[in-house]
Amino acid sequence: MTTASTSSYKLASAQDLFALTKPRVMTLVIFTAICGMLAAPGTIHPVIGFTAILAISLGAGASAALNQWYEHDIDAVMKRTASRPLPAGRMERETALHFGVGLSVFSVLLMGVAVNWLSAAILAFSIFFYAVVYTIWLKRSTPQNIVIGGAAGAFPPVIGWAAVTGDVTAMPVLLFAIIFFWTPPHFWALALFVNSDYSKAGIPMMPVVAGRQSTRRQAFAYSLILAISAIAPFTFGMTGSVYGIVAIVLSIAFVLLSLRVGLSKTEDPAAMSAEKHLFSFSIIYLFVLFGALVADRMVFA
Amino acid sequence: MNDSDGSKAAMSPEEQKVYQAKQKHRAAIMAGLLFFLVVLFYFITFVKINSSVS
Repeated sequence: MTTASTSSYKLASAQDLFALTKPRVMTLVIFTAICGMLAAPGTIHPVIGFTAILAISLGAGASAALNQWYEHDIDAVMKRTASRPLPAGRMERETALHFGVGLSVFSVLLMGVAVNWLSAAILAFSIFFYAVVYTIWLKRSTPQNIVIGGAAGAFPPVIGWAAVTGDVTAMPVLLFAIIFFWTPPHFWALALFVNSDYSKAGIPMMPVVAGRQSTRRQAFAYSLILAISAIAPFTFGMTGSVYGIVAIVLSIAFVLLSLRVGLSKTEDPAAMSAEKHLFSFSIIYLFVLFGALVADRMVFA
Repeated sequence: MNDSDGSKAAMSPEEQKVYQAKQKHRAAIMAGLLFFLVVLFYFITFVKINSSVS
């Protein structure tokens, strides 16, 4: 006869394992991966395309699980993350680690066997980049954490593209650049009005280390580079006018909102309407921009 | 039962009930996932063989 222990009582529920994959963040990953796939020249069998998206989603979920395994101490002191399965004590740390590693291996093997090994290699690198380079190395050691770590989130459209074509050309590199340069203004806008939470956790976020004014100026500078990257595919003739017009209009709006943030002097998070507007708009910006890319490909294909 | 299990306190009947319900739920989901993967791999194999033939 076996007697269950108090340790076993912490058996993670299916809901908590699912929560470990950060499903809300995954929607953006899945969306950009699908866009990368649909924007790529060529065709992919629907079953293989579905498998590629599944593998990318599992890889993103694995990265999130590994991130929460390592950051359980930080998550415990931040209000926004304190109710996650690990800091709330509903799951053993080892469970998150095993789940994350298992899911990583499975997602990469699935991608390699069913789709192609180039997309599997990029997926493996993106998991490594997020879990090791960003989570373990950069996040706690430099205020540039978001800038370099943002690269991990920029891989999905490249993987989607590589799943269809089996190679990586200038266009997926530009898609990578768009998400890469979008990340700093997006996250810094958030970090500006939830500054106290990050300070409490001891994370060297830019507003904590360099101050709010410097962060605002840098967010504006990145928005200019983002605008150039977003309009570049149209400028170089890689897309049609549908994408071109949307990219120009959206990027002008993004730069103007960032400029408002850059000129803002307020220190009260409750009064930071410019930062809140930029954060909300940045999410719409990425969805609409990538949607326009797919629409453009459909129109001009 | 090994030594490490023996060093920990046993669960109350209520806790055991919750634990077993959780186990059952996880097992059901795992069965569903395995079935889904079997079907998925069947179709992947079918597509791969078809594309290599044509």
